[in-house]
Amino acid sequence: MTKFAVKRLGAGLVQLIAITFLAWALFYLVAGATGANPAQRIAGKAASAAEIRRVEHELGTDRPLWQQYGLFVWKLGHGNFGYSYEQRRPVADIVFPAAKTTASLVVGAAVVWLILAMIVGVLGGLRPRSLLDRGLMILILLGIATPVFLVAPLLSYFFGYQPTQGSVLGIPLPHPMKLFPIDGYVNLWQDPVGWAYHLALPWLAFALSFAAIYARMIRALVIEQINEDYVRTARAKGASTARIVRRHLRPNIAPVIVTMLGLDVGVALGGAFFVETVFGLPGLGYVGLSSIQQLDYPLTVGTIVFAAIAAVAANTAADIAHGALDPRVREEGGD
Amino acid sequence: MTVAAKSAESPVDLFEGVARSPSHDFWRRFRRDRLAVASGVFLVLVVLAALGGAPLAAKVTGHSQNQQLFSALDQNGLPLGVMERTYNPEGTKHDPHGALFVLGADRLGRDQLVRVFYGARVSLIVAFGATSIAILIGIIVGVAAGFYGGKVDAVASRFIESAMAFPALLLAVALAVVIGAGLVNALVVIAVFTWYYPARIVRTQTIALKRTQFIEAARSIGGSDFHILFRHVLPHLVAPLLVYGTSIVATNILFEAGLSYLGVGVPQPTASWGSMLSDAVTSGYYRFDPALVLVPGAALVLTMLALNLLGDGLRYAFDPRSSMR
Repeated sequence: MTKFAVKRLGAGLVQLIAITFLAWALFYLVAGATGANPAQRIAGKAASAAEIRRVEHELGTDRPLWQQYGLFVWKLGHGNFGYSYEQRRPVADIVFPAAKTTASLVVGAAVVWLILAMIVGVLGGLRPRSLLDRGLMILILLGIATPVFLVAPLLSYFFGYQPTQGSVLGIPLPHPMKLFPIDGYVNLWQDPVGWAYHLALPWLAFALSFAAIYARMIRALVIEQINEDYVRTARAKGASTARIVRRHLRPNIAPVIVTMLGLDVGVALGGAFFVETVFGLPGLGYVGLSSIQQLDYPLTVGTIVFAAIAAVAANTAADIAHGALDPRVREEGGD
Repeated sequence: MTVAAKSAESPVDLFEGVARSPSHDFWRRFRRDRLAVASGVFLVLVVLAALGGAPLAAKVTGHSQNQQLFSALDQNGLPLGVMERTYNPEGTKHDPHGALFVLGADRLGRDQLVRVFYGARVSLIVAFGATSIAILIGIIVGVAAGFYGGKVDAVASRFIESAMAFPALLLAVALAVVIGAGLVNALVVIAVFTWYYPARIVRTQTIALKRTQFIEAARSIGGSDFHILFRHVLPHLVAPLLVYGTSIVATNILFEAGLSYLGVGVPQPTASWGSMLSDAVTSGYYRFDPALVLVPGAALVLTMLALNLLGDGLRYAFDPRSSMR
């Protein structure tokens, strides 16, 4: 197990180096392609050549590229993500609070989608091709086909915003529904109830398409498992369905779902873009997008690198957890 | 092997009776899946709508893609709803002889129907183009990794894994900003961030194929790598790639819509489903009329749904044992 974990951690480290290099290279690509010299941007339009050179020297952009990259990695290793051009403060001071918001969003949404997927997937999978299963399958397919940037405004319209015209496609709405707040973020530690209340709609918007994908996966796994001999034996011995789900299906399905979750953290961070902008949550997606629009490269690179570290860490942790849950994986990966 | 032995071995109906060609069996199985056939027909209609339907809709309604009609906005500047006629010059009442806006107008007084049709063009061009590029790269990397194995495979696999660990959308947006918004650029960006999915599939399939007896036989009679690749490996990749391709096209349609939604895909004023959605949401006009979101949204959802159902149908028709539906 230790050997497997060490090997997996090493692979994660290689991925991180590749990602920092790519993000850093893209940063210089951005600077080159848009013709914006970072020093020029900081010093302002009226700056003299000498002033620009001084800023260049302070930024380190006058050094050879390999030195700049080395310095970038060195600083990263010490928790220094750079300095924002626009906001004039360390990137870490902007990214870390934003990451807390995004973490609230992603983790909460993951809980929602796992619960939804487990109910739908197991119910459908236990009786494949039944009427219930077909109905649930239609819901799953609809969920997969509906993008988050469509779900988010619709949820915010129907459950958060008071419709002024009171009708949709000519059909009058009974009452203006203003059940949930649709913007703002409340700190978890200050007001846990307000935190959940403000995040309820974003969680749901975020979770729906993932719930559908996971439900389809769980359904397929359940169908595969219930045809296995050991399930038939358990049934023959009089085990209840609840016991079969608990003792036979869950241990076999959990490792697969854990790995999927680890892989999806990177994907989910992308989805945070849309949910955060629609619901006005000051998270990583929001920070990243506004930094791109403002050409604030250090902030962009900082956000990307931070998100990538989170994704790789989740991925590695999931793989190691998979190994711990399923001995077969660690045997294969160990030699 | 006799027919009886064949059907006894497999729980799925493999059509008893005279021997037929695999493609014949494929069509018979595919035709029985009515949902998949309906999806295929719908997708053909979407393609036709994008090709000929867009100019036709513009001709019939008399509004071009980017034409802004003042009479489509009322006195408060709010656009027409679904199935409403244009306003009188004061913008207070609907003119009974005015032009009919079947799917309403957007906040600039442009015809939503015409824009949805033109948006189909953008979605399809970007999705199919990006998918073709992604599959091409995927075949090259995947076949190299699976066929040659060893060090090549180790390097390619690490490369694929690292690429998959990236927060794709974040980097795609950054890359799109670097190379600028545009149809071809959006296509390239999407391909850059999707090639690793087909690559992984191709690699697994190639490794499985390499162990089959017919490849071993081809090698033992002196077949060259080139011969084996083009006569034995690649033809066997067509079916899984066709099935997988439909689902990649679906995700790429969403990817394009997402990029356009964030303003880094196909630039305004060209209509795209994503930019129509983002225009309605970021301007806040969808709060006056949710149809602004529902119209391009429905186009997206229906196309996605059809692609997914078609993919499932194709998968079953190619290999009935692989999927339970």
